[in-house]
Amino acid sequence: MISVDHLTKRYGAFTALDDVSFEARPGRVTGFLGPNGAGKTTAMRVIAGLTPAGGGSATVLGRPYATLPNPGRHVGLLLDASAQHAGRTGREVLTLAAVLTGVDRRRVDEMVDLVGLTSKEANRRVRNYSLGMRQRLGIAHALLADPEVLVLDEPANGLDPAGIRWMRDLLRGFASRGGTVLLSSHLLNEIERVADDIVVIGNGRVVAQGTTEELLAGSGTVVRSTDDATLRRALEVAAVGVSPVATGGLLVEADPEAVGRVALRAGVVLRELRSGDERGLEEMFLDLTATSAREGVAA
Amino acid sequence: MSTTTPDTRSDASAVLVGEHGGRLPAPIPGERPTSGTSFGRLVHVELRKMLDTRAGRWLLIALGVVIAGALTILFVQQGGDHPFGTYLQATTMPMAILLPVVGIMAVTSEWSQRTALVTFTLEARRTRVAWAKVVAALLVGVAAVVFSFALGAAAHAAAIGLRGAEGDWTFTWTALLGAAGYVLLGLLQGLGFGMLLRNTPAAIVLYYVLPTGWSILGSLWSQAEKAGQWLDMNRTMEPLFSGSLTGEQWAQLATSVGVWVALPLTVGMWWITRAEVK
Repeated sequence: MISVDHLTKRYGAFTALDDVSFEARPGRVTGFLGPNGAGKTTAMRVIAGLTPAGGGSATVLGRPYATLPNPGRHVGLLLDASAQHAGRTGREVLTLAAVLTGVDRRRVDEMVDLVGLTSKEANRRVRNYSLGMRQRLGIAHALLADPEVLVLDEPANGLDPAGIRWMRDLLRGFASRGGTVLLSSHLLNEIERVADDIVVIGNGRVVAQGTTEELLAGSGTVVRSTDDATLRRALEVAAVGVSPVATGGLLVEADPEAVGRVALRAGVVLRELRSGDERGLEEMFLDLTATSAREGVAA
Repeated sequence: MSTTTPDTRSDASAVLVGEHGGRLPAPIPGERPTSGTSFGRLVHVELRKMLDTRAGRWLLIALGVVIAGALTILFVQQGGDHPFGTYLQATTMPMAILLPVVGIMAVTSEWSQRTALVTFTLEARRTRVAWAKVVAALLVGVAAVVFSFALGAAAHAAAIGLRGAEGDWTFTWTALLGAAGYVLLGLLQGLGFGMLLRNTPAAIVLYYVLPTGWSILGSLWSQAEKAGQWLDMNRTMEPLFSGSLTGEQWAQLATSVGVWVALPLTVGMWWITRAEVK
């Protein structure tokens, strides 16, 4: 469980976080979505107690992170995969964490194996790791002490498609056991596929949040027919919001069943009828963040 | 384990197959800890971190080479006929000169390598981490002094046995304590500079340039020469080796330690507890 409550953080005139509130609940994967520089990393650093909050508060498992006893045993963090000493071996990095958190050192080898690093790779220095290997090491580090909560900043960066799929399964499995997962990404498809809840952030502000289903449902239905003009009139008569799609067809603010019924009554033959899921959320994401992203550059 | 099957690709007992087919880490049995990380474990980790990097290893290797070189020269020169005190100096001096770098890097590498991100999330009480570094550095210093004493004794004994040198084991315990103090204060000064500057090259350069700076300043300006008697640690620590300090020398030592060790440590720790870790 992570609770972020009216969090604000300013750097001089720049507002990195502006009244950010959200929750990441146990048993669910919460996706933290936003373009680069939107404030995802800052919010995660405040949650982890690395950056002092300007206003508001963030708690993990009901208390500020800094007051958790032996925090590694409660919360697994991967904030930056490259923040490891280049001159240490991957195994040594994990061993240090095992000693510090008081976890059986045998778990080091188990985590190395779990994240798909070979024993030979684990004995190499982090300097020689690819970004994908660093991410895997970071995930091993986060999971090492069997935490209840995972906070991962852009963990899919540098992973190949198979690696991304592996991680998705891992996070889903972790949540299905009752764990809390908060992961950030600037890639919509990645979040959409793994998250139960989504928090969209742009320019330091939460611009949308809800369950993935809710956010997807809001995106309406895409319909193509042999006579779009007639169908459009019929839909407008039915008092449903409708707009043409540039690539042909109509975007309707109703579920596919309602659109189908209108088409049946109007006697229009449908060629395509689907919920506007991915396109819809993507457009929402672009809409919601494009302005803030531009403003972010100017700020 | 009733809803999961052991993974066939691995004999690791702690890896399970979750319902989605992905492998999951096994839970650690027992309650989650309600008490914080013990200071002993923090010191253990900090000690290990000082020695487990490539930079740390090379520093120790360099130290070994310098000491071996110094002992070899003594061993060959004048038939190895030197008192134990000289051998002791040959093993202690290189440590006193090089070990402060261990103290510097124990702090600065956290920032240059950005491991502070991990360090301060696994132990959020940052002052405890800083003190663990201090204790770990002191342990390294004590071990180094004990080792240099043993090595110096072995070299002197070897010179007597193999080169027929005349045995001269006279040394004063106060001199040994003084040498130990020299090594430990150097380490602490390194830590302090590291905490204050958090930048490896800057801290190392400042640490090694400072004594030269004093002598240059002192030769140019008599006021600086006077101040140096109280503030130049190279000079205030010198009497430690002879093993006896006058009251004024103690005061001078304390003043310089206050300025170059206590002050940087205090300010550095204050900063660490408040800093934003990036």
